[in-house]
Amino acid sequence: MKRLLALLLLVMLATQGLFALGQEEAPEAGVSTLTWWHYGSGLAGKAIDSIVQEFNETVGKEKNIQVNAVFQGKANDVLTKTKAILQSGSTKDLPDLAQFDGSAVLDIRDVPSLIPMEDLAKQDGYDLTQLLEAARLSVTYKNKMIAMPFNSSTILLYYNKTAFDEAGIATPPTTLAELGNVAKALVQKDEKGNITRYGFANVPTTYELIVWLGQQNGLSYITDNENGHLGNPTKVLFDENGTMVNFLTRWKDLYATGAVENLTSDVNGAFASGRVAMIVASTSKLTTIHSMVADRFEVGVANFPAVDEQATGGVNVGGGAIYAFDNQSGNGDAAWEFVKFATSPEQQFNWHIATGYFPVHHDTYSMDAFQKHIEENPHYRVAIEQLMESNPKMQGIWVPSAYQIYYAFQSGILRMLEDDLSPEETSKALAQEINGYFEEYLRMQGE
Amino acid sequence: MVFSYRPFLVTILNSFHTVSIMGERFKFVGLENYSRLFASQSFQDSLSNTLRFTLFFVPANMFLCLSAALLANRKGKLATLNQVFFFLPLAVGLSSSMMIFKMIFNPSLGIVNHLLGTSIQWFNNPKAAMALLVIAGVYLDFGFNFLLFHAALRNVPKDLIEVAQIEGASPFQTFRYLIFPLIGPTVVFVLITNIKDAMLISSPVLILTEGGPFRSTQTLVYQMYLEGFKSGNYAVGSSIATVVFLLTFSILLILMRLQRRRVYYQ
Amino acid sequence: MRFIKASIATLFSLVVIFPIIYTISASFFTYADFTSIPAKLLPSSFYLENYVRAFAETSLARFLANSFVTATLGMLLRMGISIGAAYAFTFFTFKGRDVLFFVVIATMLLPSDALILANYSTIRTLGLTDTYLGIISTKLLSPTHIFMLRQYFKTMSREYREAALIEGCSDARFITTLLLPISKAVVITLGIHSFSNIFNDYLWPLLVTNKEGMRTVQVGLTMLGFSENLDYGPQFAAIALLMIPIVIAFIIMHSPIQNSVSSRFAGR
Repeated sequence: MKRLLALLLLVMLATQGLFALGQEEAPEAGVSTLTWWHYGSGLAGKAIDSIVQEFNETVGKEKNIQVNAVFQGKANDVLTKTKAILQSGSTKDLPDLAQFDGSAVLDIRDVPSLIPMEDLAKQDGYDLTQLLEAARLSVTYKNKMIAMPFNSSTILLYYNKTAFDEAGIATPPTTLAELGNVAKALVQKDEKGNITRYGFANVPTTYELIVWLGQQNGLSYITDNENGHLGNPTKVLFDENGTMVNFLTRWKDLYATGAVENLTSDVNGAFASGRVAMIVASTSKLTTIHSMVADRFEVGVANFPAVDEQATGGVNVGGGAIYAFDNQSGNGDAAWEFVKFATSPEQQFNWHIATGYFPVHHDTYSMDAFQKHIEENPHYRVAIEQLMESNPKMQGIWVPSAYQIYYAFQSGILRMLEDDLSPEETSKALAQEINGYFEEYLRMQGE
Repeated sequence: MVFSYRPFLVTILNSFHTVSIMGERFKFVGLENYSRLFASQSFQDSLSNTLRFTLFFVPANMFLCLSAALLANRKGKLATLNQVFFFLPLAVGLSSSMMIFKMIFNPSLGIVNHLLGTSIQWFNNPKAAMALLVIAGVYLDFGFNFLLFHAALRNVPKDLIEVAQIEGASPFQTFRYLIFPLIGPTVVFVLITNIKDAMLISSPVLILTEGGPFRSTQTLVYQMYLEGFKSGNYAVGSSIATVVFLLTFSILLILMRLQRRRVYYQ
Repeated sequence: MRFIKASIATLFSLVVIFPIIYTISASFFTYADFTSIPAKLLPSSFYLENYVRAFAETSLARFLANSFVTATLGMLLRMGISIGAAYAFTFFTFKGRDVLFFVVIATMLLPSDALILANYSTIRTLGLTDTYLGIISTKLLSPTHIFMLRQYFKTMSREYREAALIEGCSDARFITTLLLPISKAVVITLGIHSFSNIFNDYLWPLLVTNKEGMRTVQVGLTMLGFSENLDYGPQFAAIALLMIPIVIAFIIMHSPIQNSVSSRFAGR
């Protein structure tokens, strides 16, 4: 027994020793090594690796900077890891750069060790207007750009063009009212009267509502403090400014056509299998949906339908951004060099081709290669034009308890449809529930 | 022990305070967090979902695993093959099997709907999603439970069974009066771990349904994960954790009391 | 009767095994195969790209090695501790024994996810991030196993032990020469369970390791592109790769379990 224990101990020590041997060689003197935590997997991961490689071999070599991109799991995992370090107080272990999506902002934006990108840019004399205004504003907090938008996307309407042609519909719908009419025309039933194809499928939640509420009357806010970009939201505005009631009324009319299916997951699959003729989804899903559909039918894309004719705000920019941290290594400038490189026109062009995310730098759009690209890929052109026509002030919402709010919207709207409640009641109920979450959050922060 | 107890005590402590998004404890608020929790619709949903899940899952799991063990308890090559097949699910890890399930239960592209000839909306229909969770849960525990039952059955002395059969007992009687009591301790153990697993279920929810559709599969531990991890509401998360613990603990306590009177130990 | 039993059993076992077979088949699917409607059961061809990609896109081999090492080490340590503890709880009598046992069991009910952040700071202070020990440290104590072993040990007659002690046998020897061989089935079962438990853990190894060289295979799996774009191919290939050695190991190990159990009764 004792021998077994001794043996075990030996094995343990041996493996520890082995590991120590396997340590990477110490970085060469004079070279700044940057760590970048990201959540790009699959195509995005490969694209990230190639950006990093190119940097390391060109600008990196000149300026003695080497970037080490580390995949850390899903977007939420990057946040979990970073939070773990922040909470244990050892800021030395923070990565120099980290890619987060919108759900991480609340945790990160007030952290002392965060270096706002705007500061780094100013130090370098970088002109921030080179970036797409909508993208820049989407990561602005208290009027400062705290991160660099990187994987930006917006929302789009995808439709089954073959079905449209069969039904004799020439143009995709531009408002919810038109959507209802078109959807009704696309419904197919079998001999028993069961619907085999719906016109449209969606149960709106935060993602869609940001646009459907925010675009009304040119620009509307969903919560106070400019959707959380000026500080913690304390209450919602969508009940006071009537945008929710307006939207719910239109949505109820849409649902009354009987052509809408309440799907919340696997919507892309339903579309690809021909079960639903129109869906809304992110531009980043463009390549995926095309491959899923293959040659079953022709896919068309169009602008995200507006709530009504007065809703002229367009769409907002969503997606992820790169944040910089101060880990006492003095790598701030080096980090900025890399970020500047990754968001330069050329690199953003390559990034876009590989992943479908929007280039965030203005000059990419005027590149010849880019022009040619969107000529050959009209679907991307639709997405880009939609963005250009939008009000850049359309911002996403930075709210606490984001997931609970996500469900609150969905469940509230579902209940309205199934129990035939009025838009006014529903709007009030939603406002009450969501305000409750805000209140709870503020209570926790000691405000 | 360090790893289990210290965090546990910290958790309980947190549940009585307000905790900021960065994890700092602010002020003591006594039971206020709990009263808010119980009043919230989200928690009530989690509670009811978890209890319903346990109610469906435990009997189903016990029945399936025990039947499998009984059916495979024969001699011969085919029997051996069955036995091996039955505990093979253990070889597939948690995340692997959940990923596989996610693909095969896909309503439009998955193979289950194709083979069954149906088009059940596994992820969009609350009832189907709950059923899916139960199936996933059973699959995860199946290999291990089967092994336990199998080992227990093998320990039942064959001579006793032969005697019973000679005396004219029917297979059902043999089972009820002879086999079942003899594998008692194992049954209790499996029952206890099953209940615990059911109350604490979180991974299938995380990977397959994410609490949907419309929060119909949100379980207690999943809500704790949502609040604690994703939203940074540590106080709420801690409160949920404590509630889960107390609840499961009481259920099991009751069970253990019952078992002491009824189970036969050699 | 036997025939009915046999056929139901066989049908049942085929259902149970279905996901495994499907995985192996799916590891050869092309992207088109995955998205085809109606869904396919067999691949259109022997498409090996998935395997190639699984290896090329990640350091799969290193991940597998890491997983194996941590799982084996963890299993051995955990079993050692569990057996010792269960033994003590069954055969020794000391004040507060039952209370202590209860306390240990109670930890079984704690959702481990709640404790993750707190544990992480402990591990960091000990300087154990990015080490094998760090990965397995939270898994060393398994109240479930202690509980199980105790249940099992309780079915042993105390007279055996008393007789052995009278004969001058120490506790340690008793365990190794008498208790363990008899409990082989249970011990092996729990050992397997430990192994797969540690092997399949995702969140904790993710938190505790930053260097890619220390990653385990579960984390590596997600690097092969998540299900968002339905590019399941390399993932299924990796899963299949993971599964097959364990499946084979199980099939092989299955005989010793049977033998050890039956020999107990044969010897009576």
